[in-house]
Amino acid sequence: MTYFAVVDCDNCYVSCERVFRPDLKDKPVVVLSNNDGCLVARSNEAKKMGIKAGTPYFKLAQQFPGQDIAVFSSNYELYGDLTGRVMTILGQESPEYFRYSIDEAFVILKGMETVDLKAWGENLYKTIRQWVGIPVSIGIAPTKTLAKMASHFAKHHAGYRHCCMIDTDEKRVKALKLFPIDEVWGIGRRFTAKLKGLGIYTAYDFASRSPEWINATFNKVVVTRTWKELNGVDSVPNEEAAKKKSICVSRSFPGMISDPGLLKTYVSNYAARCSEKLRRQNTVASVVGVFLNTNFFRDDLDQYSNFGEVTLLTPSNSSIVIVKKALECLDKIYKPGYLYKKAGVIVISIQGSDSIQTNLLDFDPERYEKMKNLDKIVDRLNKVEGSETVIIGTQQFPRKAGSEKATQFADAIKREFKSPNYTTRWSDIIKLR
Amino acid sequence: MNDISIINSLFEEEQDLQIASGLKAGFPSPAEEYLQDSLDFNRDMIKHPESTFYGRVCGDSMIEAGINDGDIAVIDKSREPHNGSIVVAFINKEFTIKYLDLTHKADGYIELRPANQMYKPIRIDEGDDFEVWGVVVYTIKQWN
Repeated sequence: MTYFAVVDCDNCYVSCERVFRPDLKDKPVVVLSNNDGCLVARSNEAKKMGIKAGTPYFKLAQQFPGQDIAVFSSNYELYGDLTGRVMTILGQESPEYFRYSIDEAFVILKGMETVDLKAWGENLYKTIRQWVGIPVSIGIAPTKTLAKMASHFAKHHAGYRHCCMIDTDEKRVKALKLFPIDEVWGIGRRFTAKLKGLGIYTAYDFASRSPEWINATFNKVVVTRTWKELNGVDSVPNEEAAKKKSICVSRSFPGMISDPGLLKTYVSNYAARCSEKLRRQNTVASVVGVFLNTNFFRDDLDQYSNFGEVTLLTPSNSSIVIVKKALECLDKIYKPGYLYKKAGVIVISIQGSDSIQTNLLDFDPERYEKMKNLDKIVDRLNKVEGSETVIIGTQQFPRKAGSEKATQFADAIKREFKSPNYTTRWSDIIKLR
Repeated sequence: MNDISIINSLFEEEQDLQIASGLKAGFPSPAEEYLQDSLDFNRDMIKHPESTFYGRVCGDSMIEAGINDGDIAVIDKSREPHNGSIVVAFINKEFTIKYLDLTHKADGYIELRPANQMYKPIRIDEGDDFEVWGVVVYTIKQWN
């Protein structure tokens, strides 16, 4: 039987910050979202203090006055580099793996039938811990859903030495009984309410129902699949788990914005980022969506939020196309008279760029090639000469009075507590006394 | 049109070495079978890019080991430190570059030794908050 492993970086962003700040080892540490909005990562010490996920930063000092909490703005350049190193090690230590998110990967342990997998996992933990400095939790089981569950146990119980393996039916049943249904991989939040209504609280309550009951009650392929996986039958295709189905770039604005011109500038930048990400993973998207909302924390102001999307006739990853479509969406949903706090661009229905289904009415091969070359050159210039060397006109922020150069997108984000880019900029490498 | 700036592109990532397997017209080049990739510092000297980090030397505590202010230390976290290794350690909330001296380990303490007579060794007793962060594998000095 082929086993699957889930490798998950513990409190990823916090762990990345701690690599270069060993003094914060046992201290409460939190990392803020873009523009220092709210908490996106907490150390175990912070969790123990009762600091909740998603707490707005301005409330932290009110709720925990006088407490010594280390606060960082998010430094994705650093997190991207360090987690990339973790993935490289995974590639060397495993037959096949795919990255599932920034801090998480699945490993397919095929051809390792004779290997002591528990020892393999414990050893992998040690290697990553020493080489990169980040702690990971590893779950091993016959299905991806059970492996995810096992990684939870590895994370929360020191006795597993960072690696929990479900390899007997006895262990599987024991794990299912201890596991809340809402934490099962693939069970959505909305779905949990329905399950609890039916008296299903643990993964065991769900998995021990008959397949007929599951089909009759839910009649949904994904639900049946999760049920099978919990019962030890591999049912989630690798390709499906590997593929990123959407890319979203969204930020809170540094202040509140009513000016439609400035909104366009932000949305253009988010859209350009999305298309860069698509190109980096050699994919194209066929739906572009934009959302926009006011400040929910300000009860005293009028509230509005909306989402709009357009479908592309030919899937694309061209900056010019994605930005143009995103601005069309913005036009559809923008309403004057509100103070906006956040916007985001999401590209959906992503596929490989090598096999694009073209639309005859829309597709012009010569123009397509030209755009592709243009993006390639722009990407290269922005890589060599620094990001935002070449941008689309609508990405340009207005020049501040008295300033020679226009503000760049990277500088338009508020990052008051950002750590140095220890691994990606020579100016920021650690100092050795 | 006076302002022409040369931009160094990253062409090497796109280009394949086609000379080795290219056209076969005429005599085969006698050099062909000896074709080797050029020496590459990153490829040949950095054994584990995943565990390699860099640090900037500040101060003169290692000057007698030929390590000066401003040098870049190449640190490999995958290496096991040994007695006499030059290491990067974290102590008193800062990173420091020193010789690791394990002579007195059996007596319950180790030392971080500077390479400068003006400085004293740092004694670390069992239970002190201290960690060897990585082993220094190269230092890079810019002369010109």
